[in-house]
Amino acid sequence: MPDWQLKKHILQAAMCLLVVVAVLGAYVIWLMTWESDTLAQNPLNMRRSAAQADILRGSIFDAQGRALAQNRPDGSRSYPMGAAFAPVTGYIGEEIGSAGIEAHANRDLLGLTDDVSHLGPAAQLFQSARGDDVYLTIEGDAQQAAYDGLSGHRGAVVVLDADTGAVLAMASTPAYDPNNIEKQWPKLSKEGDGPLLNRAVQGLYPPGSTIKPLIADAALREGATDTSEVFDCTGVLDVGGGQTIRESHGEVHGKVNLQKALSESCNVTFGTLGMRLGGKKLQSAFERFGFDKDIGGEIVMTKSHLPDFANLGQGDLAQSAIGQSSLLVTPMHMALLAAAFANEGTIMKPYLVQRVVTPGGITVRETMPEKWLKDVTSTSQARLLDTYMEDVVKSGTGKAAAVSGVRVTGKTGTAENAQGKDHAWFIGSAQLPGRKIAFAIIVENSGGGGSVAAPIARKIILSLAG
Amino acid sequence: MKYGKLMWAPLGIVLAGILVLICKKHVMGVQRAAELLQGVDWSFLPWLAAVALLSVFLQYLLVRRQADPLLLPIALTLASIGSVEIGRLKASLFMPQLRWLCVALVVMIFVLRFWRSLQQLLDYPYLLGMACVIILGLPMLFGTEIGGSKNWLVLGPMSVQPSEFGKIIILFFLAAYLSDHQQVLTAAKSRLLVLRLAPLRFIAPLICIWGLAVLMFVVEKDLGSALLFFGIAVLMTYMATGNKSYVFLALSFFGIAAIISYMLFGHVRVRVAIWLNPWSDPNGMAYQVVQSLFAFGTGGVWGTGFGFGHPGFIPEVHTDFIYAAIAEEWGLIGALMVLLCYVLFFWRGVRIALKCRDSRAALLAAGCASLMLLQAFIIVAGVTKFLPLTGITLPFVSYGGSSLVSCFILLGILAALSERRRSRA
Repeated sequence: MPDWQLKKHILQAAMCLLVVVAVLGAYVIWLMTWESDTLAQNPLNMRRSAAQADILRGSIFDAQGRALAQNRPDGSRSYPMGAAFAPVTGYIGEEIGSAGIEAHANRDLLGLTDDVSHLGPAAQLFQSARGDDVYLTIEGDAQQAAYDGLSGHRGAVVVLDADTGAVLAMASTPAYDPNNIEKQWPKLSKEGDGPLLNRAVQGLYPPGSTIKPLIADAALREGATDTSEVFDCTGVLDVGGGQTIRESHGEVHGKVNLQKALSESCNVTFGTLGMRLGGKKLQSAFERFGFDKDIGGEIVMTKSHLPDFANLGQGDLAQSAIGQSSLLVTPMHMALLAAAFANEGTIMKPYLVQRVVTPGGITVRETMPEKWLKDVTSTSQARLLDTYMEDVVKSGTGKAAAVSGVRVTGKTGTAENAQGKDHAWFIGSAQLPGRKIAFAIIVENSGGGGSVAAPIARKIILSLAG
Repeated sequence: MKYGKLMWAPLGIVLAGILVLICKKHVMGVQRAAELLQGVDWSFLPWLAAVALLSVFLQYLLVRRQADPLLLPIALTLASIGSVEIGRLKASLFMPQLRWLCVALVVMIFVLRFWRSLQQLLDYPYLLGMACVIILGLPMLFGTEIGGSKNWLVLGPMSVQPSEFGKIIILFFLAAYLSDHQQVLTAAKSRLLVLRLAPLRFIAPLICIWGLAVLMFVVEKDLGSALLFFGIAVLMTYMATGNKSYVFLALSFFGIAAIISYMLFGHVRVRVAIWLNPWSDPNGMAYQVVQSLFAFGTGGVWGTGFGFGHPGFIPEVHTDFIYAAIAEEWGLIGALMVLLCYVLFFWRGVRIALKCRDSRAALLAAGCASLMLLQAFIIVAGVTKFLPLTGITLPFVSYGGSSLVSCFILLGILAALSERRRSRA
């Protein structure tokens, strides 16, 4: 066979092989362009989470710069302040996910800006090896005072800056220790007390008498009463159908005006107002104060449970007006109610993250105070109710919250509930040097608001005043 | 030195890779350069220097002998990509890989030096055939199963893959046998239906090789080598004869064997099932292929950047699956460049074959070149799920002594065949 024929066949076979390789090349191109995103985002693909695990998480600090969460040298996460700050910091674990600021500020803590993964190796230029630090609005002393005040009970505390909406404390008990949480997880997730539940924003409770400032505001606004009307409290209110509402401990308040009725927490007066207002006006009052709204941002609050006002009987109207019936609210929302009266009728949007700072010290994000609800009530009426609530602390049921030299307002509540002993409530505000705080405190199944919850408010005020 | 500049490419890749690995390891909390260099294990340096010296010497030798000057730089580029990626995947294997590279380069020098004697092997085709059967038969009888394939011989402290060397002998055998019987095979008169074939006694050795390949698959579960042997036998038969009847015969032979083994053997069915639908069992049997596909997807066009991917999720990533790691970290660009290197290498090999005067030499050169590209094709197709997965190394790139040495022997043969003095002789 001539030589050229052999070479022709070699060339033919070579071309065949090259064509096959070219097809493979085209397939690889298809795989790495068209199919790329589908494969990269497949839930079984662990690479994205592995890439995030490579980044050293930033730290979480309180308003005074104390570390609430930071990395240990071995890369694990430590929470120096422990369980007291758990509702704020939350936790993070590979197997268990994350909660709290660890979850909501995850992108900041990882220093992720936008999705730069499509830039390939150049993305490394935008990705520092260490994430950003997150500075919170939390005042460590107030948080600790709130946690200590709740000790031994289930309950929650929310403290806000009434002028800005900054969350100064958010406590919930029983709490968990976020340090090494993954080891405790099987036990924690089964515990009946629900230590993983952040009661401050997720707990739903009947507000009891702490809802009365809202009812008083609604009654004045709708003309259901005025400041001078005198109610005659005989200790029992007949709501029709053979049902009655009684004062707690069988008290009889006698002749009271609205101010006195609030400071003595008179059920007969407010039951009467509830019936006078009727379902529609009660509903619009609750909606005005945002009880049907979410907050958004890093604060994920459970929506309140409002009764079906349109179809309430007289008894339930009266019960709703004293914070019973099927009305259920979160402690956070009660703090916002207190803030409305403390801040002349405007509720600021609560927030936890004050600013985000890069490892190099550059502030990449700073939270500006925002109005959540404007003019929920008129300025003059908010001031009026503020003085009524001041009276509660000065001479009424909330005397245990008084702090000498500080103007404290408040409203106690003792909420009946199906679980057993009454829940103790206290909401209110305090004018501290340089800022006005609003707060809500609930201590589950512990008794009277004036005797159990109000002293906790005093401790918190002292921790911030000192 | 002319063509000396080509040597900078592999050296640059290795040095840049080492630099990235050192920097990445100490990226946090390092203030000064001196701190950066602390705690780095420098034991690889002498071996790196040895590889550099050997390869410069080899390139000098090749240029002086007027051999093809591009083959060695291409091979070294692939080898350097492979060794830095191995250093990144399993730092402890970086030095052994350089050591094997040294050994392979020394072996290549020997191949060049003693080519005249080695070439005489081509005069004894039947001896080569026997040697081939024995070498490939050994692991079937005494083999040890490593990584799912029973194609290893454990000799004291070393484990050798005989198929890596068997493939070279098969090349010699095919080149010798086919060129000796070129006339008989080409001018075949006897007909079988539409096929035009030589008498059975002339085709029998070829059928033997095909059968050997099938046996390797069934007994040793080594689909990669089986495909490679079979493919190269078919390619070279066609190159020698230009007779499509043999290709048809071979393909039908393989098809029937494949169907029979699919019906008889569980592991064959498993392989096919994984290939057809890896997503039905992504965390079990198909884990490796699925993870490999994720690597390709995550890499995208630009890759994650060297050292910033997570190819560690793929089992055996430093040997058979190294192409997936390269694709993840170097992106489509890097993956195609690697593929292109094989194509270039192949094209230089074909050029050498076309310039050979002697038909045996031409067949041998074309066989060497095809073998390299075919092997790269089979493993790249396997890890991308283009074909069913086959365990086989990526030439020059994967970790492994047997693989590196045999690749450099092939390179040495090609280089020797390209020497101008020889082709004139």
